[in-house]
Amino acid sequence: MARVEYQASLDALEASLQEQGEVVMRAVRGAINAMQAQDVELCDEVIAFDDEIDVRYHRIEKSIEELLAQQAPVATDLRIVLAVLHNSIHLERIGDQSVTIAKLTKLSADLETRHDLVEGLGEMGDRAEHMVRVALDSFADRDIEEARALVELDELIDRTNRRVVDQVLQMAAAPGQQEWGMRMIVVARCIERIGDNAVDIGEQTAFVVTGEFSEFTDASH
Amino acid sequence: MTTPQIDSARIAEVAQPVVEDGRGRETVFDVKNLAVSYSGNVALEDVTLDVRKNFVTAFIGPSGCGKSTFIRCFNRMNDLIPGAVVDGKVLYHGRDLYGSGVDPVEVRRRIGMVFQKPNPFPKSIYDNIAFGPRVLGMKRDLDARVERSLRQAALWDEVKDRLKDNALGLSGGQQQRLCIARAMAVEPDVILMDEPASALDPISTSRIEDLIHELKQQFTIVIVTHNMQQAARVADMTAFFSVEVREDGTGRHGILVEHAPTTKIFTNPSDKRTEDYVTGRFG
Repeated sequence: MARVEYQASLDALEASLQEQGEVVMRAVRGAINAMQAQDVELCDEVIAFDDEIDVRYHRIEKSIEELLAQQAPVATDLRIVLAVLHNSIHLERIGDQSVTIAKLTKLSADLETRHDLVEGLGEMGDRAEHMVRVALDSFADRDIEEARALVELDELIDRTNRRVVDQVLQMAAAPGQQEWGMRMIVVARCIERIGDNAVDIGEQTAFVVTGEFSEFTDASH
Repeated sequence: MTTPQIDSARIAEVAQPVVEDGRGRETVFDVKNLAVSYSGNVALEDVTLDVRKNFVTAFIGPSGCGKSTFIRCFNRMNDLIPGAVVDGKVLYHGRDLYGSGVDPVEVRRRIGMVFQKPNPFPKSIYDNIAFGPRVLGMKRDLDARVERSLRQAALWDEVKDRLKDNALGLSGGQQQRLCIARAMAVEPDVILMDEPASALDPISTSRIEDLIHELKQQFTIVIVTHNMQQAARVADMTAFFSVEVREDGTGRHGILVEHAPTTKIFTNPSDKRTEDYVTGRFG
């Protein structure tokens, strides 16, 4: 195998992405747990933890800048480098969604909750976390089938999201619950976006393997 | 609220940059089942490929893959090597370059060549350019022809005040542009370049590359290069040649592995051997 240093840099880059993914998954789990338990302390931890994600994102970006400048990757190598950069941004955004969930939970900490809605949001959170796991594994394994399976998983989140919105709309008449309901619609939206970002990562897996980029689903979904 | 009716397949199509593969352009060279051997030793086997008009076509590959042997078939330079035998067909605008009645001198007027090492004649700058036209009887407006050639080679401004100076006094990069100007002075159709920048510094190299971009408006260019990034920068089409070891143990010879738009070769080549070579995993 020629270009030993170069291959080591590419391997290190992929390892950094997976590490960023692990950190992001902890943020997602923390945000969902905090939301379910209305745990303000945990919310603060999730918010502070975002710096860890950002640092990793910037490290990956810097590594890619150096790799492009020094090694001029082409063909599959180039696609891997581009995909890692995209995926790192997608993960960073998942981290941001987790922060937003934590902030909204803090704002709603003293408000009356509804058990069935919290349960629905928890279910969405579990699915989103699972999707990020699948997205990261499919990228590591270059497994297009697994990546494509994310579309169906995303559909389940979208469905739960619609159910949550319907439930909140029904709560509109119930005094004292509107504010909490409105905030939880945004939380549901954040979780739904995490699913979308996981699908985006899956699309990068397909790009690396096939050399062609295509959206798994169109905008009407 | 209406659902936007957007067809994702259509979006991908619009977003894809247009990669021209030369179809629809005139074929300048149509090479069929070409094989070259030197004194019975096969150097290159079974190459089929076409070269399109006003395209830059690059040949890349490891040492010994036959890319220089191949480019020399385009203007019958192999005729000058004792023992060289060319089999198969090289059609130039539909006409067999190796057919009987084809004059190699006329072939080399239409299909000029620039070599790795600049090789100006030990004459004045002016006479270097005027030499070919004089030999070929193109003597009308010779001054204008010399100026035009030097301008086309982006050398005029640097030499216009010293046309009578010896060409060997020019820098390496200037000498190479002089050789390109010399090739253009006889109004060729094609310019072959065999590693034209490998002996030059980076600035001279980038001048030659800029020049190639300009010249393809007017000429068809075929270039052999060891520098893959150079192929990526200048070529529209790239052909990757490799070395194949013969199963019977009688030696090795060059083969054409893949010929495709340059963007395809460097982003998503079809053949694993191409991928290994362009990513530097070869050998």
